Amino acid sequence: MPTTKKYFKSPEELENKQEFIDQQQDEFVEKLPIDKFLGDSGLSTSSASRRDFLKFLGFGVGAATLAACEGPVNKAIPYLNKPEEITPGVANWYASTYMNGKDYCPILVKTREGRPIHIEGNKLSPVTNGAVNARVQASVLSLYDSGRLKGPMANGTESTWAAVDKEIGSKLNAIRANGGSVRVLSSSIGSPTTKRAIHEFLGSFNVQNGGDSEEEAASVDTKHIVYDAVSYAGIRTANELSFGKAVVPNYSFDKAKAIVSVGADFLGNWVAPVEFSQQYGLARRVDKGSLAKHIQFESNLSLSGSNADDRYPVKPSQYGAILTGLYNEIAKLMGRPAVPAGKLDGEMMSNVMAAANHLLKNKGAAILVSGSNNTNHQVIANSINELIGSYGNTIDLDNPRLNIQSDDAALAGLIKEMNAGSVSALIIYGTNPSYSLPNASEFNSGLEKVGLTVSFTDRMDETGALVNYICPDHHYLESWNDANSVSGEYSLCQPTIKPLFKTRQAQESLLNWGGNKSEYLSFLKKNWEENVYPNQSKHAFFDSFWNQSLHDGVVTISAKPKEEAGEELTEGEPEESMSNPIVEAATNLSGSESSEGTWELSLYEKIGIGNGEHANNPWLQELPDPVSKVCWDNYITMNPSQMKELNFNTTLGQVQEADVVEISVNGTTIKAPVYPQYGQARGTIGLAVGYGRSGSGKTGDGVGVNAYPLASFADGYISFEPGSVEMSGSKGGYHIATIQTHHTMMGRDPVRETTLEEFSADPKSGNPDTKIPTVDHKMKSPEEINLWQSFPREGHFWNLSIDLTACIGCGACVVGCNSENNVPVVGKDEVRRSREMHWIRIDRYYSSDEEQKPEDDRDLDALEVPSVSGSLSVVFQPIMCQHCNHAPCETVCPVAATTHSNDGLNQMIYNRCVGTKFCLNNCPYKVRRFNWFNYKNDDKFADVNPSQDDWGKMVLNPDVVVRARGVMEKCSMCIQRIQEGKLTAKKGGRKLVDGDIQTACASACPTHAIKFGDVNDETSEMAELKENPRSYYLLGELDTQPSVRYLTKVRNKHKA
Amino acid sequence: MTHSLSKSNSLNIDFQNYLSASRRRILASISILLFSFAIIVPGVNAQDDIDGAAIFKKTCTQCHTIGKGKLTGPDLKDAHKRVPQPHEEWMVPWIQNSQAVIKAGDAYAVKIFEEYNKTLMTTNPLSDEEALAVIQYMVEESAKETTTAGAVADNPYEPAPEEEPDNTSDYILLAFGAIFLTLIFILGSVGKSLKRLVAERQGSPEPIELSAIGSLKQWMGSNKRVVAVIIIVLIAYGSKQGWNAMLYLDVQQGYEPEQPIWFSHKVHAGTNGINCVYCHSSAEKGKTAGIPSANVCMNCHKAIKDGTFTGDKEIPKIYAALDYDVEKQTYGENTTPINWIRVHSLADFAYFNHSQHVVVGQVECQTCHGPVEEMHVMRQESMLTMGWCIDCHRKTEVKMEGNEYYTELHAKLVEKHEGEKITVDKMGGIDCARCHY
Repeated sequence: MPTTKKYFKSPEELENKQEFIDQQQDEFVEKLPIDKFLGDSGLSTSSASRRDFLKFLGFGVGAATLAACEGPVNKAIPYLNKPEEITPGVANWYASTYMNGKDYCPILVKTREGRPIHIEGNKLSPVTNGAVNARVQASVLSLYDSGRLKGPMANGTESTWAAVDKEIGSKLNAIRANGGSVRVLSSSIGSPTTKRAIHEFLGSFNVQNGGDSEEEAASVDTKHIVYDAVSYAGIRTANELSFGKAVVPNYSFDKAKAIVSVGADFLGNWVAPVEFSQQYGLARRVDKGSLAKHIQFESNLSLSGSNADDRYPVKPSQYGAILTGLYNEIAKLMGRPAVPAGKLDGEMMSNVMAAANHLLKNKGAAILVSGSNNTNHQVIANSINELIGSYGNTIDLDNPRLNIQSDDAALAGLIKEMNAGSVSALIIYGTNPSYSLPNASEFNSGLEKVGLTVSFTDRMDETGALVNYICPDHHYLESWNDANSVSGEYSLCQPTIKPLFKTRQAQESLLNWGGNKSEYLSFLKKNWEENVYPNQSKHAFFDSFWNQSLHDGVVTISAKPKEEAGEELTEGEPEESMSNPIVEAATNLSGSESSEGTWELSLYEKIGIGNGEHANNPWLQELPDPVSKVCWDNYITMNPSQMKELNFNTTLGQVQEADVVEISVNGTTIKAPVYPQYGQARGTIGLAVGYGRSGSGKTGDGVGVNAYPLASFADGYISFEPGSVEMSGSKGGYHIATIQTHHTMMGRDPVRETTLEEFSADPKSGNPDTKIPTVDHKMKSPEEINLWQSFPREGHFWNLSIDLTACIGCGACVVGCNSENNVPVVGKDEVRRSREMHWIRIDRYYSSDEEQKPEDDRDLDALEVPSVSGSLSVVFQPIMCQHCNHAPCETVCPVAATTHSNDGLNQMIYNRCVGTKFCLNNCPYKVRRFNWFNYKNDDKFADVNPSQDDWGKMVLNPDVVVRARGVMEKCSMCIQRIQEGKLTAKKGGRKLVDGDIQTACASACPTHAIKFGDVNDETSEMAELKENPRSYYLLGELDTQPSVRYLTKVRNKHKA
Repeated sequence: MTHSLSKSNSLNIDFQNYLSASRRRILASISILLFSFAIIVPGVNAQDDIDGAAIFKKTCTQCHTIGKGKLTGPDLKDAHKRVPQPHEEWMVPWIQNSQAVIKAGDAYAVKIFEEYNKTLMTTNPLSDEEALAVIQYMVEESAKETTTAGAVADNPYEPAPEEEPDNTSDYILLAFGAIFLTLIFILGSVGKSLKRLVAERQGSPEPIELSAIGSLKQWMGSNKRVVAVIIIVLIAYGSKQGWNAMLYLDVQQGYEPEQPIWFSHKVHAGTNGINCVYCHSSAEKGKTAGIPSANVCMNCHKAIKDGTFTGDKEIPKIYAALDYDVEKQTYGENTTPINWIRVHSLADFAYFNHSQHVVVGQVECQTCHGPVEEMHVMRQESMLTMGWCIDCHRKTEVKMEGNEYYTELHAKLVEKHEGEKITVDKMGGIDCARCHY
């Protein structure tokens, strides 16, 4: 199959124009301005002669040599009272929890000398099983963000906590005395104790007068309103309509054999991507015999869509029709009545039928998800899940997710109230409506009419700039907190560093203003003693329970059994109880038809930046989008074939500029560059939210455009599919930093893939042995004609194994590596010049079956995905240094700065490197990175590189050298972890056990696609993987004998 | 017009001649400068005058004072008047090896020996000149007025600033001197050349020099091969010396900085026999041996408030750092960290782990740090260069017995290197990335 397929990374490569080929050959795409330099008239008239130059040179060299004669005096300042648990140079790990709106992830925080420096997943949590994503890993950098507020602010000026408390207290007391209405506007809160603190604060307004009830006891109207920038209110309402429970259920993709998603990017950003990625990995372990088939209907090519076995590009307006189509098809097969359905063309209808069949065939082990915030869509999705037996199997309604509570209708009510001037105090916690609301201006004008506005934001964000008081909250790594995001799992969040700035925990502020002067920790402990501790039976004393919980980070309380009533509902009376909402929903939908010829917009969240809260985090900004491979920007994605029709530039490189497009939706107009995206449904465009911040800080401000105003906020729901778009374009003018054209493989076959059918018949399918022709006209394996001797390896032999079937391309490994190895951030301009420094990159290849158009295989446009064809597939391939045992780089280094170790590592010695870059030129995998600048000091990187200020330097891993300008660097296979792991075993006098050592990328991988181990240890998983029939080496024909092996990608696809 | 034109032409030509000539001269002066560096620099250490005061402070002050009372040994004020005369003849052998003098049966020597409870004076490997310098210092000091009687012994290891001059400043002075000399030389030759030019322009012939330099030049002109050989030898020697000097750049062997607290390892580790890892506990756990925190000091010094030499002055510094009230035995808030000067400092790009060597390798602390138990003031005993590390890794046998980590590896290595010692380098102990990452 690989022979009939064409792999390509970008339109440039697909078309293989001369311009592109030339660019690949040159080291510098832009011509170096030598003529300009030599033509400088100042050169000839300069008064400094050659002799002067030599004099200065001589003096400089002499002075520098003298200055270098003696090292500086270093001080060694020990602790006065050393904390018992700290040993300088030894890391401490603490269990904590990352929570941010809907994101929930139990974590382990690595601290060195009291500074958190790295985050990994907590494997004790049965919910996430140790999975993390890019945002969780990068959150440690946000702690050291110099853009955070250093103390409370009152009306735009710095203040003190005492002054702020006094002023806010007196205003709140005035409300207590005179009556009014107090509103707390927060993001979804997964912490039960925080909810209790808010409840107690709001309760304090009526308690005071509660004693003498004849007085105005109910005069203060209090309410807690939940608003998330990306809303799931539609799911909650739909579940209320279908089942009478306004909840977001818990999904289990690991139990599914059939997964159908209609516009839901569940691996990227939908509901709980960390958990779902991990579950998806479990559902697709081809070596263990399970490979769930995943079908995706969507308009933008999302992370989930690029992993799907079959993917069908559709317009957002067709989602309803697809859902009703699926329902009707399944209902028909089950002998149930049909509902009114939207129109679909024949080809799409057959795709829908195939998906329906697939779901029904796996009844009880199937799952359907819809990404829309439209209640009608979700009601139909519920009904489909009901029919395919998801409830109780793959979807759990009885133990729902507790951290998604956004209520768009209540928010709309609040804005109305605010504008009417009837809100006396508004307290904003964890949300930034002035930036993320589609109708932000309405909110802002309402804000002016509120008597007292307070925000807990940690920075002067868009909302913070408009409120009376900012009472900055701690970073979560400085806070105590708890979480109960999923029924049955409680977790704790503990401080891992003393607060860096004069901030105060928001909950403590609330308690304080409500008259409870206790610390939040004691409030938290009390709540746990009253509400969590009684639910368990293991510990006889609360203290031991608390200590154990704090140590483990998570507590699992047995899940609620399935409610009897629910079962009856599904089994007993499906017709009556079900038909009403579904029929209504289907009827509502059948009115809205997609009209041909109009453009539709679909907004989405990016993997790194998400809803934009972390826009000031340079690791996330520099993380290339998994699909487009663009960083530091958002842009309009469009199908390249349509871009050509509109005469937009589809070839983007270092020098080519993107065309800028002006789009307007419902009267809101913005300008953004347009980017060619294969797989984008024709007639649709995509644009990421989370960019265009103005109050995030120096790194995030002004990056991209704010797309939130394009969302629609109608009928009480925020929709990211706002309907038709008008568009007008202009030529050029914008540079996009994409890594997609860098480091091309020059047409060799780096990825190998097969289908499940072929794989079941022959596990070696798609992975033929590499043979190369020799002078005597024989085909020989590369090892036979090798020039080099092989090394005997008595000790360890470290290997990495990367399973292309499991890899979903999420980029968690990239951020994990950045954090572990002090990888510098270089900014957009340098990325555009192919000078990104990431040690691990994820190559994304599109492929298309050329067989589809056999009559004209030169017709390259044919390769662009037709509107409803599933023929575009995507492969993700993480690439780091391959640690070749016959390394081409090692033989060309003139100073032996890169050598081989006896345990199979390709070593890079920075202090010996003189920067010739010969190794880079000779590396067939293009994994070496050259330090072009002194990133931590150069002014050019002042806004992007976190190490430029004292705060940002604190995140550096002290065990890894910060590389200087002019040296080469690359993946070291986390040698510092290998050394540490070996030393721990040696000190303990025990054998090194498989799994003792994990590289940062392997431990970050939510699907366990990347594995690390000692291949010489016969009991290790790595030794087993070596014999796996799917295993192959990248560019095996070169016989570089890498220490990194890849496992072929298997797709659950029946057509070849 | 034509005249002036040709004149200027000839001037041009002359000027070019001058240029090339002066360039040669400059090159010559630079090379002379370089050689003189090469010759002078290594010589600096040998040129030290014998400093009696320094030797006295280094070798004698532990047991003797001059006019400040008895310690282990007698007060040496006016000792030269007490001993058999002439005092130099008796004192020199006594200082060098007092036991020999006693054994020889010298009456005064035996008397002193008895008087001081038969405490032997340590033998001092001093040359006659050095011993004489010490005696000279003693005589000079004795002549001075006695300071407050009964004062405690001077801090024996307080470095006197004038006694151990900072070599760096010498080097810098020397370098600047050389630079100035070169400048004078260059300016001189420029001046001379200009004079000659002026003379040439004026048409007067260059005066014939018959100075020593002139005759040397003449000789050099007629013996070019000899000159070439000399130059080549000088270049070779200079390069070798330069190379050697560069290898020792930033090698701080012998570095013995003044610390904020006069802490004596000899008293703690030597006399009192406290185990190194009692204070440097993280040497067994982490990469750094760690300077003990002040609370570790307080384990003992809460009770021990006075010391052998300077305890009454130095121990209160710990109390001050911790804001500890000795009377009330309470700790205050007003703490100030102790700014120790780091003695052993590896380059940032080299990773070194103490626990690897102390626990796994079972290397004695003294192997790298020298006889710390004999040092009052901590000094860097070893070179701490990469060559020094690797040398040890090539020689040291790995302690594999009883450590299960090595069981399998040991068997394989023994098979491979039959009959040889399994040293650290045989299992990858000199791979670059063991230390550089």
